Amino acid sequence: MTLQQQIRSNRFRTGVVLLGFAAISLLLVGAVDLAFKPTIATFVGVGALVYGVISWFFADRMVAAAAGARKVAKADAPELFRAVENAAIGAGLTRVPDVYLIDDPAPNAFAAGRSPEHAYVAATTGLVRILDRSELEAVMAHEIAHVRNRDVRLMSLAAVLVGVIALTCDLLLRMTLWGGSSRDRDSNNPLTLVIGIAALVLAPIGAALLQMSLSRRREYLADASAAEITGDGRSLALALAKLRDDKQPLRTVTRATAHLYIESPLRDHKGLRSSLGGLFDTHPPLDERIRRLAEAGGFPVP
Amino acid sequence: MISWIAIAAALLLVLYAVTAYNRLVRLRNECEQGASSIDVQLKRRADLIPNLVQSVKAYAGHESATFEAVSAARAATLAAASLDARAAADGLMQSAITGLIGVAEAYPKLRAVESFTALQAELADTEDRIAAARRYYNTVVRNRNTAIQSVPTNVVARLGGFAPAAFYRLEDDADREPVAVGLST
Repeated sequence: MTLQQQIRSNRFRTGVVLLGFAAISLLLVGAVDLAFKPTIATFVGVGALVYGVISWFFADRMVAAAAGARKVAKADAPELFRAVENAAIGAGLTRVPDVYLIDDPAPNAFAAGRSPEHAYVAATTGLVRILDRSELEAVMAHEIAHVRNRDVRLMSLAAVLVGVIALTCDLLLRMTLWGGSSRDRDSNNPLTLVIGIAALVLAPIGAALLQMSLSRRREYLADASAAEITGDGRSLALALAKLRDDKQPLRTVTRATAHLYIESPLRDHKGLRSSLGGLFDTHPPLDERIRRLAEAGGFPVP
Repeated sequence: MISWIAIAAALLLVLYAVTAYNRLVRLRNECEQGASSIDVQLKRRADLIPNLVQSVKAYAGHESATFEAVSAARAATLAAASLDARAAADGLMQSAITGLIGVAEAYPKLRAVESFTALQAELADTEDRIAAARRYYNTVVRNRNTAIQSVPTNVVARLGGFAPAAFYRLEDDADREPVAVGLST
């Protein structure tokens, strides 16, 4: 796929995701309508909408805050800056993204921002420490590729929507469990309550599944783009091998932002991952990504 | 019925031609952006040269041939009007800088001067950026040329007057290896 085709397919997928989320939201509304007073349903619906719109425009900052990332100047992290600048030039971006640093020994990185003009890349201090210059540049090129391919826009949108749905369901579930808020005329009908609760439990899972399936394929594409940007697929493979061999979990991470990282930051899900065949994975296995890079570049698998 | 099919086919054809044309325009703009990005980085390197020469001169004033080569390469970079001229100046500059660093290697005191090491680090940094800009340019030129030469875009390209662009090549293909600007200590 050429870059333009990727971008176009991302636009299409953005549409599909919106539809998917709309379907889940409808399901939610139905459930809420069944199980709650209309006033409460309206209140929650409007609240979720407002929350969604606000978080779309503040998503950049919210993601940074959720990850514990702070913006740094060139003097604070010269190696990281150099890597980002080189990757941005190599990718032909007209603007060098802002650079954020996360104080965390676990090596990881992500890109975020709702458009290339608002994009930034973030890396942990651990990543900067364990990677050498060309490996760091390769990882930054992977993140820059996400920016250029408009993946970050799609993924930010997914993060916002999953956040909205999760919050709404959480709120409603609590209200249900407290009791007293279900509809008067249905209060003696346990079936509606069961349906309502089931929807509330299932909706966030559905939203998360949609989000995961989106992000898995983007990783291979970003890897391939990064190899093209730096002209050096081997460094990226070596960097990924280092990430694979590092077993430290990231300290500050939430489900909503997991799919933004270069490597899945959620290590405690390993057991679940194998039993469900990777359905909940935000990332393809690192070994497979390294193997594909090695195959394309014609070098031995590190 | 037949006429409707003909109209639909003609419409599709026009639609295709418009998309292909717009794509060629975009590819051309990407090439121009890539070329100007190389330009920016080459100028950045040229701007570092006077200070670098100054600091080496303070210790090795007699190596005038080296300094002249560097100054000539700098002048050629700033005067270059075409991409080919820029590539030629780039090649000159690379060998001149290698010579300058070679001279500096002989003066341990110079290697200890902080301003010199800072300049050198910045030079290495700029070399990396030039390499990145070159790589981007050559990638977009390849995309553009592929589009211009493939069927059926080539028809639109010929009608629209889109010509293939030249790659940015250094003489003797020195760009495969980064210039060694670090001092071996």
